[in-house]
Amino acid sequence: MNLILQSKTVNFWAQPYGSSTLWAYLFGALIFGILVFVGLMFMPAQFRRPVVAFCTFIAGAYWVLLYAWPAPIDLQPNELPQGPVEGVGAWLKDANPVVVGMTGIITAFMLGLGIFSLLSIHLRKIRRQQRDWPFSVVLLVSMVAMVSFGYADYFSRQGPDGTKLDLQANWGLANYGRDLLFDGLLQQMDAAMFSVIAFYILSAAYRAFRIRSVEATILLSTALLVMLSLMGAVAYISEQTINGLVSSTGNDFFLNFTLTEVAGWVRRTFETSSLRGIAFGVGIGALAMGLRIWLSLEKSGGNA
Amino acid sequence: MAKNDPIPQPIKPSMSLAEKLTSLPKFYLYIILIFFSSAPLFINVTVPNKPLESSIDLYATLMSVKPGETVLVASDWTNSTRGESWGQFNSVMRILMRRGVNVVLYSTGDAQAPRVAQDSIAKLNKERLAKGEPEYKRWENFVSVGFFSSGEAATNGMATNVKATFAGRKDFAPGRGLTDVYESPILKGREKIENFPLLIVITGSKTSNITVERLSGKVPIAFTVTGVMGPETGNFYQSGQIVGFASGLKGLYDLEGLMENGVNVPGKDGQIVIKSEKYPKIDGFPGQPNAGQGSRYYPTLHFAVALLILAVIIGNVGMFLARKGAK
Amino acid sequence: MSYDAIKVTLGVLATVGLYSVLYKENRFYRFFEHLFLGLAAGWTLVVIWVENLKGPWWDLMVGVAPEKPTDPIGNGNWALILLLPLGLMGYMVFSKKHNWMSRIPIGIILGLWSGQQIQIWYNTYGKQIAGTAQPIWPTTWSSLTVPDYAKSGLTGDALANAKSQVYLSQAVSNFLFLITVVCVLSYFLFSFDAKTKLVRSASSMGRYLLMIGFGAIFGSTVLMRFTLLIDRMYFIWIEWLQQTILQR
Repeated sequence: MNLILQSKTVNFWAQPYGSSTLWAYLFGALIFGILVFVGLMFMPAQFRRPVVAFCTFIAGAYWVLLYAWPAPIDLQPNELPQGPVEGVGAWLKDANPVVVGMTGIITAFMLGLGIFSLLSIHLRKIRRQQRDWPFSVVLLVSMVAMVSFGYADYFSRQGPDGTKLDLQANWGLANYGRDLLFDGLLQQMDAAMFSVIAFYILSAAYRAFRIRSVEATILLSTALLVMLSLMGAVAYISEQTINGLVSSTGNDFFLNFTLTEVAGWVRRTFETSSLRGIAFGVGIGALAMGLRIWLSLEKSGGNA
Repeated sequence: MAKNDPIPQPIKPSMSLAEKLTSLPKFYLYIILIFFSSAPLFINVTVPNKPLESSIDLYATLMSVKPGETVLVASDWTNSTRGESWGQFNSVMRILMRRGVNVVLYSTGDAQAPRVAQDSIAKLNKERLAKGEPEYKRWENFVSVGFFSSGEAATNGMATNVKATFAGRKDFAPGRGLTDVYESPILKGREKIENFPLLIVITGSKTSNITVERLSGKVPIAFTVTGVMGPETGNFYQSGQIVGFASGLKGLYDLEGLMENGVNVPGKDGQIVIKSEKYPKIDGFPGQPNAGQGSRYYPTLHFAVALLILAVIIGNVGMFLARKGAK
Repeated sequence: MSYDAIKVTLGVLATVGLYSVLYKENRFYRFFEHLFLGLAAGWTLVVIWVENLKGPWWDLMVGVAPEKPTDPIGNGNWALILLLPLGLMGYMVFSKKHNWMSRIPIGIILGLWSGQQIQIWYNTYGKQIAGTAQPIWPTTWSSLTVPDYAKSGLTGDALANAKSQVYLSQAVSNFLFLITVVCVLSYFLFSFDAKTKLVRSASSMGRYLLMIGFGAIFGSTVLMRFTLLIDRMYFIWIEWLQQTILQR
């Protein structure tokens, strides 16, 4: 089925590339979109929540219907659905890539929100020369540099010989610039940021990890068991000790008490099950929250 | 007191043992940690290891994919988890490359992830070329579909139709520039998720959960995850929703050991290094570069963990002594 | 100095700069912190267009030129332009008067997420519920623990039959597994007001059993963070100092 946003043949919704009709329709739709945008700005307050609730409901209803509506059985690509039930099912299924695509596009636009916020804060800092404003200059300069080299590198790979740039020997200035900023700086700083937490973990374990209660004792014991069992050298020593005991007593039963076996049993029996209980709890909460959001029962959402 | 007599200073009581034990300045603690995390790196030592069952299952699954097949690899890691994820990615890719399995790379976790994966493949290609092995070529052996800003939507889309989800995505074809990924020979005829024999997720974030939620039961799924996600990933493994996984540095070390020794394969001395009742003989890749980050970092991790355990013990001993002193 | 040496040296400088915060907050650290933020934001801007908007939106909207003159002309789906004002509504969050408009695209995204939850819930937890309900009574008393099949000498059907049995040790483990899940769930779901003694006991037991899960997570987190630190130390001492500067 050809939906309005995935039509391969020329029709009202799909016009040939570069044609004046396409640009005219595009421009017209953009004007329409701007008019809706401006119209919403003047919308009376009592209509705002219903509009938001409506959009949320329609968006969620697609996935609920896709799951709940009977899907057509063995419908071939060139076959038409028979009857309204199969027709709706086929439409829902065909609409899936369109919905997925639209979700990705809207999310991509929203990703820019964080960057917009970052830019506005730091530009304001520079304009007003607030405390530490030179660092804001560093941020903006590095952002512009990354964008410039990033796009330059991307455009340099556009031509038919783009795959040659997979080899460093064929690089130009744009490629070296992107690599230096991305791989040389950004990635290394990313790794450094995440690894700093190791120091804080050690400091916190030294100062605060105390066996003051039953819960703390269980937590510490399990943590020690997990850590030691994942240390190959420690597991090997324990295994050799038990093997010695087995050889001297001739009883294989002791093989069940190597560190690996004990830790594995604790992992399979208690650790997995307690985390499963947590996951079930979280899952039920997420389901309830999902229903409340979909039906706009959340008080904070949609308040205008 | 005379005018010029010195002002008497209060006598500082000497610190008790308990106080001494619990008051090491944190900067000294950090220096000790840096030492314990660095010095062992200069010592070359092999730590004995018994792979976990989940790692063996992962290895067996990777080795069961037929040459010429195409698998999906969700590369959702960046250098923030380089210590574990990079090595895991390298090990998985080395296995797939050596077996001649084609790869479709995509990412849903981080905007940096596609670039990081491609840079890693470039480094692996350098290694292959140095060994006289053929380069793993873009378009013919692997394609990069790119980053999907909405992971939930994209993964849900893949559950219905992979081709439609990847519509509009392009990669660099030799002699043609950016071309629709579905024109690549490795994606021809693979429109649904069921057409792929395996989906591997290499991640440091929740994208593994997102994948299981939407694709479980439609395609065999395997994970390599960071250590922090190991326990919750065990949940999926126990219920059979994933076929195998490697977690953290231990999982990576397991994979490297499996690549070197195989499963149920006798070593040079005739002894089987890695045994498994579940599988018949599975070959390794002896003599090829298998050792990587796992082998380099694993011995050092022992020292760092020993330091942590020592710190906890000292702290608790100090607490008990303080309590005893107070009584 | 070669390009690779410059690249690694800059990486080490940046790493040390960020680590300097461990001593105390300083300008060196703040410089690299802002550099990191700028580079990350810049890369995100590149990826937003290159990966998410150019192909899936722009090219589909305006169409693409045919590769060869003989190829058919592609189509442009012009209605996709309507996603632009919709996406831009999100930026009204910065407006004091019109920030309600940002709830429209956010509501759409949340609606799309929440609509999937029903399907996801069953996909995720259906198998886990089945995986939790394992046999808690042994099917054979021939052995209290799982026998060593390799040494048993059994083959073929006899071996398959032996492997399909549930032994006492497995039944006990399965029972403990089930009890742990139930107790942990009772801690979460009945924590608002536990009326009966049974539920209170289960909830209390659940709190202790939860600690096992948290202990495992803590242990794994420690290992992971230390691994990341070891990786940075390797980068500084081996990749930079030994291989790049001293060239050993």
